[in-house]
Amino acid sequence: MSSRIAKKRGEWINRDKPLTFEYEGQQVQGYEGDTISSALWANGVKVLGRSFKYHRARGILSFANHDVNALMTDGEDTNIRADVWPVSNGMKLEAVNTDGGVIKDKNKYIDYLSPFLPVGFYYKTFYKPKRMFPFWEDKIRKAAGLGKVNFNYPRHIKPKRYAHCDVLIIGAGASGLSAALEAAEQGFSVILVDENRQIGGSLTYDLAGDPAATDTLSTLQAAVESQANIRVIIDAYAGGYYGDNLVPIVEKSGITKVRAQTVIVAAGVFEQPPVFRYNDLPGVMLGSAAQRLVHRYAVKPFNKGVVVTANDHGYRTALDLASVGVEVVAVIDMRRDGAAQDITQKVKDKGIAVHKGSCIYEAVAAGDKLGVKEVVVCPYDETTAEADTSRSVRLACDGVAMSAGWAPAAALLYQAGTKMRYDDSIQQFVPAQLPESVFAAGKVNGVFELKARMQDGRRAAAEAMNYMGKVVAVDSVKQSLSSSPSHPYPIVNHPKGKNFVDFDEDIQVKDFINAAKEGFDNIELMKRFTTVGMGPSQGKHSNMNAIRILARIRQLPVEKIGTTTARPFFHPTPIGHLGGRGFHPHRYTAMHQWHVDNGGEMFEAGIWMRPGFYTPAGVKLSAADAVQQEALAVREKVGMIDGSTLGKIEVFGPDAAAFLERFYTGKFAGQKVGESRIAMLLDEAGVMLDDGIAVRMADDQFYVSTNSSNAATVYREMQRNVQLWKMQVTLVNLTGAMAAMTVAGPASRSVVEQLTDIDVSAAAMPDGAFRTGKVAGVDARLMRVSFVSDLAFEIHVPYKAGLHVWNAVMEAGKAFGIRPFGTDAQRLLRLEMGHHLISHDTDGLTNPFEAHSDSLVAMDKPFFIGQRSLKILAKKPLNKKLTTFVLDQGFNGELPNECNLVIDSANNISGRVTSISYSRYLNRHIGFAFVPPEQTNDGARFQIRTDSGAMVSATACNAPFFHLLES
Amino acid sequence: MKLLQCPINGIRPLSEFTYGGEYRDMPDPDTCTDKEWAAYVHYRNGAPGLKKEWWYHGPSGTWFIAERDTMTDKVSRTYIAGQEEKQ
Amino acid sequence: MQDAVLMSPVAFAHALKKPVSGDVNGMQTALSFADADVEATRSKTLSICDVSNLNRFGVKGPQAADWLKAAGIKLPETTNSWTSQENGSLVMRLGNTEFLLEDKPENQLAKTLSDTAVEQSGVHKVLRNDAAFIVSGELTPALFSEVCAIDLDNGSLEDNRLVMTVIAGVSATLLKQTLNGQSVYRIWCDGTFGPYLWKALLGIIEEQGGGPVGFNFYYNA
Repeated sequence: MSSRIAKKRGEWINRDKPLTFEYEGQQVQGYEGDTISSALWANGVKVLGRSFKYHRARGILSFANHDVNALMTDGEDTNIRADVWPVSNGMKLEAVNTDGGVIKDKNKYIDYLSPFLPVGFYYKTFYKPKRMFPFWEDKIRKAAGLGKVNFNYPRHIKPKRYAHCDVLIIGAGASGLSAALEAAEQGFSVILVDENRQIGGSLTYDLAGDPAATDTLSTLQAAVESQANIRVIIDAYAGGYYGDNLVPIVEKSGITKVRAQTVIVAAGVFEQPPVFRYNDLPGVMLGSAAQRLVHRYAVKPFNKGVVVTANDHGYRTALDLASVGVEVVAVIDMRRDGAAQDITQKVKDKGIAVHKGSCIYEAVAAGDKLGVKEVVVCPYDETTAEADTSRSVRLACDGVAMSAGWAPAAALLYQAGTKMRYDDSIQQFVPAQLPESVFAAGKVNGVFELKARMQDGRRAAAEAMNYMGKVVAVDSVKQSLSSSPSHPYPIVNHPKGKNFVDFDEDIQVKDFINAAKEGFDNIELMKRFTTVGMGPSQGKHSNMNAIRILARIRQLPVEKIGTTTARPFFHPTPIGHLGGRGFHPHRYTAMHQWHVDNGGEMFEAGIWMRPGFYTPAGVKLSAADAVQQEALAVREKVGMIDGSTLGKIEVFGPDAAAFLERFYTGKFAGQKVGESRIAMLLDEAGVMLDDGIAVRMADDQFYVSTNSSNAATVYREMQRNVQLWKMQVTLVNLTGAMAAMTVAGPASRSVVEQLTDIDVSAAAMPDGAFRTGKVAGVDARLMRVSFVSDLAFEIHVPYKAGLHVWNAVMEAGKAFGIRPFGTDAQRLLRLEMGHHLISHDTDGLTNPFEAHSDSLVAMDKPFFIGQRSLKILAKKPLNKKLTTFVLDQGFNGELPNECNLVIDSANNISGRVTSISYSRYLNRHIGFAFVPPEQTNDGARFQIRTDSGAMVSATACNAPFFHLLES
Repeated sequence: MKLLQCPINGIRPLSEFTYGGEYRDMPDPDTCTDKEWAAYVHYRNGAPGLKKEWWYHGPSGTWFIAERDTMTDKVSRTYIAGQEEKQ
Repeated sequence: MQDAVLMSPVAFAHALKKPVSGDVNGMQTALSFADADVEATRSKTLSICDVSNLNRFGVKGPQAADWLKAAGIKLPETTNSWTSQENGSLVMRLGNTEFLLEDKPENQLAKTLSDTAVEQSGVHKVLRNDAAFIVSGELTPALFSEVCAIDLDNGSLEDNRLVMTVIAGVSATLLKQTLNGQSVYRIWCDGTFGPYLWKALLGIIEEQGGGPVGFNFYYNA
């Protein structure tokens, strides 16, 4: 039984390309260009899904990307919207939200229980007794949600692109097309977006039986196609509005983020259903849905139907239906006064009866509730919304087209900050005050008449161009409407309910009344209590009626009720689209490949990739053993770590020393060339931010290092203060330009001296000394440091030569048993040395007095960042201090973790552990902890509470810890 | 995502910038009281209005001042600190 | 492959593509990735080439401009613009007081300046470690639309202007020049980001049907 009609001008299907697919086990024929719903409907299949809550059979409602009861799965994807998704050969579809198929759905019994499931039922019923909740939760979770997530969903990378234009126009209907032409003709670049697969908007279906609109469309279409300045993006929706006119356009292939100078929203309106009992049966659909079926897909919505309307659009629908041979039994007009004379006459001329002041009191289901068999028509009182059932008439039919008005597709306007007002003359929210570079045109702007819409598009474009500085005339737009396009209250009360307001969530008129009775009578509260507008269509067909119902309950004007805000994305957008192709930059040192080749366990240390430790190929080694062995190599022989991640900054200029004196806590003015000093940075509150080493390379040149994680921020702060203090200083960030490596351990001198022309003897190069010269034939900066070992050399060379020098050191160190060591061993080594790590052992409140760093703070300088705060802090007693500690010899209990608390004798918290580790070299557990100041004295005992609550004794102990080996 | 005008590099998306806090004049540390200093370090005025803010354009390493109305989130002008007269 | 003392920061990233490698300016370099005609097709469609090995010289400081002028170098007039010397070396003005020079393989201007001792205050040499790429092909706009948020088609790269922006999350300097009669884009970023940026760009380039080309495609070293 095919409902396909003869080929129509402008149809969207390609009859030369027939195809076959499967729906619920049934073979279905369609054409290329069909949507799933249109192909099924053409084949007489009208049950496209089951509703979310009551599992009622549903068919086509909007046929405009909001039919959320007609959701399908093809096995891979779920919740495919059948009303818009194109069919393809061989696809196998099933409706979601059924148990045992869409016709036999075992859950349809829930519909019979609906009287016992009032609004708020779940909230009130299952929360006690508490012990039963897990049981109910399991049941409810199974019932809730639509579709099943496919955990084997293949990963398709969806690119996210940027695009730029002068004018972004959302909606390619009559007003959008006109706006695009106006702007493009004046030389502006235009991006025109439409969610449909063809441009034209309502010109593609709302003909009222008259092909004139098709001619208008052809003219506009041709003009747009010949305009090089217009880029048309179809089959895509504008997902949201973000600051400064950034609008993500969502296509199947991915998201394009359009940055526009101006935005014109010409997104049109969503048709709103009248509310009557059983307005949800398959075969009952919106008037515009029926028109789309007819004109885009050449499918008859039904054979013998009625039109129920509360505006003139129902008459247009009736004419379109009649034009393709649908028997229209009657137009039932809910308005007492009916429509304008001319259109009424046109309808009557087609032999269609017109019943003014009437409503459909209820649609009557065919026996199996899978369709309509007749409608009950009664006189209707617009003021009370009551039907006079004493004078009912039954009209046999297999379908109903319904029109009651429109809601603006204004989500983007709201998001952009538009103030809306309710226009009583058209019973619609319209923009009252728009942001300065955002414009609205067409029906969303309250302009309905075709000619006026085209003028309104040109008007909006003219205003946009004026905003961009091109002076053009702005013509005002006038329309003469014979009646309001929307009805103020298209609701028919029914004692038995099932007069659906929200088809996503099966919400009936009485649910709103009950919600209001319970006190949820504010639109935001009502939304959450009833869940109106919270389904997948986000209230596109229900919010307006909900607002009207609430306004009537509260006896307030609609404007006073207000609307809820549709946040971006205003249409469901796949997570894969939002994720898109991610960009996660990493920095790699010059020795990266060497680490990988030699068993380095690479991890993300901030933005850098670093080796934590090495497990060379063929060696069975636990991580802990690897770390201990690396540390032992440094203590007993020699090791080398890649320290390229250190921040490295050159400070040049006549004010270089003066700048460092203001920036850091220490003194640099008298520092000798070739000497290094610790450079500690505080914030204005005196909190320790960073510590590095400042080397004087010349009178007017310093080379400063920072902690790896602070390189970017310290450089940035230096730049800011150079500007702020107006000093003659030039800064160069060499962090990425220099590779660095530290050769540490008793044999390090023997290794380094083989490779360099610099005299590295103890006498010539004491701790802290800095020299330049050649290392492995490369220009190098060499420094004696003692962070991980008493004897260590830090070698800095240009990045490009980093691997070469690293290899040379490894080669020279072979004879001495050199081992590379990673960051884990480095942490242990510095702990053995008693060096704290800023922002690991200190926190966002720690000042230098609390971290034994008084000696690094030159309080007698005229100024440094944080000094004034330290002067205040110095007057106050300390209440915590960082100490090094050791656990008892032979400790083998539960090891405390970092952040475990120090507990005093009164069982109060008195501090915490900041670092703790076992040292194989010392055969002891050592660490750092904050404790009360009196407990920092060598030998002081304190208790640490472990994760399990056990208490562990610790002893404050001077560092370096090596004296422990002597006792 | 919003746009911001770097005085050197022009209009760029906010993702190219780092916020550097409100620009506030430091009291003279030698003459101010402890209380005044503590207020400077710790107190922030959250009331909406025109604020001078530090912003940093990362790719070029440019610090500048933006005058922003935190009520409307509109930036009225941007300039290099100390060069507001040149703008 | 450890014969050359210097390594391109991108070397390990393009080692995956098994290029024919050689030594240019003392640096291990990918000379070619495929047959000449394949590379020619790529360069017309969409391609990326690592030219980190070109000699570079950076200088910064209040007297830098005067010092360069005294050395006979033609400077770009304004910040964020570039010029090429008669011998083909590029001079980029990265800020009012910061410059970057880059040689072609056959000339040694940057090299000579690098080797020149600076005796003047207010002139500071900047050690460079750029990952430097050439991107070419008719699909370049499609590539940049994915990795760069700003509009590069609105003339922002015309008239010898250069742009410092974020590319695939990394700070970079970008300009457009004509090389061997072909309009190409040049990208410089911190070398430590080089392997990441190479992989990020190449991933998209290959998706679009392009690929890597070797150094010899543009320069006969």
